[in-house]
Amino acid sequence: MHGIRVDDFHRRMKEKLRLRLVAGGAGLKRRIMVPELNRPGLALAGYFDYFASRRPQVLGMVEINYLQDMDAALRRRRIRELLRRRIPCVIVARNYRPPAELPEEAERQAVPLFRSPMVTMALINRATIFLEGEFSPTTSLCGDLLEVFGVGILICGRSGVGKSECALGLIKRGHRIIADDVVKIRLREGRYLIGTGPDIVRHHMEIRGLGIINVQDLYGATCIKDAQEVELVVTLEEWDAAKEYERLGLEDKSIEILGQSLPHLVIPVRPGRDIVLLLEAAALNQRLKKMGRHAARALDRDLIEVMKRE
Amino acid sequence: MAETKVRKELTIANRLGLHARPAAMLVQLANRYRSEITIERANERVNGKSIMGIMMLAAGKGSRIAVTATGDDAEEAVHGIEELVQGKFGED
Repeated sequence: MHGIRVDDFHRRMKEKLRLRLVAGGAGLKRRIMVPELNRPGLALAGYFDYFASRRPQVLGMVEINYLQDMDAALRRRRIRELLRRRIPCVIVARNYRPPAELPEEAERQAVPLFRSPMVTMALINRATIFLEGEFSPTTSLCGDLLEVFGVGILICGRSGVGKSECALGLIKRGHRIIADDVVKIRLREGRYLIGTGPDIVRHHMEIRGLGIINVQDLYGATCIKDAQEVELVVTLEEWDAAKEYERLGLEDKSIEILGQSLPHLVIPVRPGRDIVLLLEAAALNQRLKKMGRHAARALDRDLIEVMKRE
Repeated sequence: MAETKVRKELTIANRLGLHARPAAMLVQLANRYRSEITIERANERVNGKSIMGIMMLAAGKGSRIAVTATGDDAEEAVHGIEELVQGKFGED
């Protein structure tokens, strides 16, 4: 079953949207099936073709006044018809007191009816942003997500290669951790990959030989962060003498997550290589590239220029 | 196996010379041999397994370089590098 249940929507948004359940509590298991809201003006006027019944229905000033001006019998009929369309819920904005037929029918047909003091458009905007987030594609990856000099780095690699140890090193140097071991990634607005840690284990890490530690307790609130855009993926792997690693960085390699292409580095791990230091350099280099300064290409250009002059 | 020393002069033939990409190819090839490899141009001598070193030579098209390999696979090393240089590093 897809979508989000109305009781979930209510529980998570009641503060932000200042929602108050007025009637139809028996229908809280209904589901919102699309990340949009609808103002049912035309439906109240009797036009139900193409009615967006899978969205929460929002009644603002226009809808409420229109209902109030209606003949009472017609009003009841239209409200009944609206609620019968298997809509997930109705929200009345601006704290309007809806005509009595609405709570009565909502109760009878078990359609949750909410009221909110928010202005209609502000309510719709905020609810849409929330629903967009809930409906956006997600994936779960094994790795560590850190913010290093403001750059979100997803550290991947085989189990035991030292991701968590590396994360710990970065934390010690003042960078922030978003998630250890399991990173949940959500595609926002069709282009940003936002990573978070699972609620329960957030800010905890598992370090071989130490067990589970609470990073926030150990290093303080400055070293943690709840969400971060992933901007660079680094795969750590054990040094393989037979493999040829990137030496120039002239071409930017990439990796796909949720259909989005991200810069990708493969860094070989070997005793004596300070991976924490390398990751800091990688973060800074990524920032420079974003600012349009590509060290490898610039050096290559200069060199070709010098050779031409000779 | 006997340690030998092989030296050969080569001419850079590709249009852009020994810029970053050819330098990287040369170094990657050099690293496959056990021999010590040096590259010389004019009065500069650099380690054939160092990218920055080879780039420092700034060996443009037509310049002469000397490859010297010392080790048990010196012959193969010089031959391999010769092929790479004459093949214009797959460029042009």
